[in-house]
Amino acid sequence: MNTAPTQPALRGSLDALPLFIPALPFAFVFGVVVAEAGIPEWLGWSSSPIIFGGAIQVTLFTLIGEGASVAAAVSAALIVGARHMLYSVTLAPRFQDQPGWFRWVGSYVLIDQVFVLSQIKPIDEPVAFRRYFLAAGFTFWGLWMICTALGVVLGPAIPPEWGVEFAAPVLFVSLMMAASDRRDKLAAAALAMGFTFLLASLPNRAGILIAVLASVLIMLALRRQPT
Amino acid sequence: MIALAIILTGIGSYAMRAFFIFALAKYRFPPLLLRSLEYVAPTVMAALVISMLTTPEGELAAGVPEIVGLCCAAVAAKLTGNHILALLAGMVSFWLLGWFI
Repeated sequence: MNTAPTQPALRGSLDALPLFIPALPFAFVFGVVVAEAGIPEWLGWSSSPIIFGGAIQVTLFTLIGEGASVAAAVSAALIVGARHMLYSVTLAPRFQDQPGWFRWVGSYVLIDQVFVLSQIKPIDEPVAFRRYFLAAGFTFWGLWMICTALGVVLGPAIPPEWGVEFAAPVLFVSLMMAASDRRDKLAAAALAMGFTFLLASLPNRAGILIAVLASVLIMLALRRQPT
Repeated sequence: MIALAIILTGIGSYAMRAFFIFALAKYRFPPLLLRSLEYVAPTVMAALVISMLTTPEGELAAGVPEIVGLCCAAVAAKLTGNHILALLAGMVSFWLLGWFI
C-alpha cells in the first residue's frame, strides 16, 4: 500500500468519481435550499467556488432563508465545518515535505471525501501524494461546480419522496468502514456514533466535534494501558 | 448582505482547512499525537452519519429502512471494499424496505 502508484493523478481522479455519486442528490438539495431562501441562482451558486463545502453551504442558506442575521448564519455554517480543522491537523505531517504552493492549493480542496481518500490510500512518496491529492480534489471540485449549477436550476423539480439524499449517510458509512481497517478504529467509530447521538441536540451540530475529540481521547487512554 | 455572508464563510472555511497545515508546518509530531490522528477519519465519518440521522432537537430521524440500509452498506463495504457496491446495497435495501413497509 505504501508504494507510489504508477499514475497517481489518474488514480486520484478515478478514486474520487464513485465518491461523487452521493454528492449529486446533495447538489439538488442545495438547489432546493437556495430556491426556498429566495436567493438568485447565480448568487447561491457562487458559494460553490467561494466556500466549496456542501454541508457548510446548505447550513448558510438554510439559516439565511429562515431570516437569521449574517453573523448568526456565518458562525453556524463555520461550526458545522469545524471538523475541517481536524483534517488540517491530521494532514499537517503529510504537508511538511511539500512545497508552499501546495499548502495553499491543497487546503482549498480539503473536503471530507478527499481527506478520507488520503487516509485510506496512504502514499509516502511526496510527489505521488501531491498529484493524487490534487487530482482527487479537483475532480471533485469540477463536478461540484457543474452539479450545483444544475442543482439550483433543477433541484426544486426532484420529488422529495424518492429519498435520494439518503445516499449521503450511506456513503459516509462506507467511508467509515474503509477508514476502520483495524478493530480499535472500528471501536473508536462506534464510540463516536454513541457520543454524537447523545450530543445531537447541541446547537449547530457542535456535538460532532466534541464526540470525535472524546472518542479519540478515550481510545488513546485505552491504548496506553494495555489490558 | 448575502454576498457578504458567502464571502465571510468562504474565508472562514478556507482558514479552518489551512490553519494547522501552515501552523504545524515545521512542528515535530510526537508519536502519541500521530497515533491519535489515526482515529480522526473513522470517528468523523461515524459522527457525520449519526448527525445526518438525527433532528436538530436530538431525536432519531431514521426508521427501519434507514437502519437496515446503513447496515447493508456497512457489510457490503467491509466485504467488497467498493464504495459503489456499498452505495447500491444501502440504497436498494432502503428503497425496497421503504416500499414494502
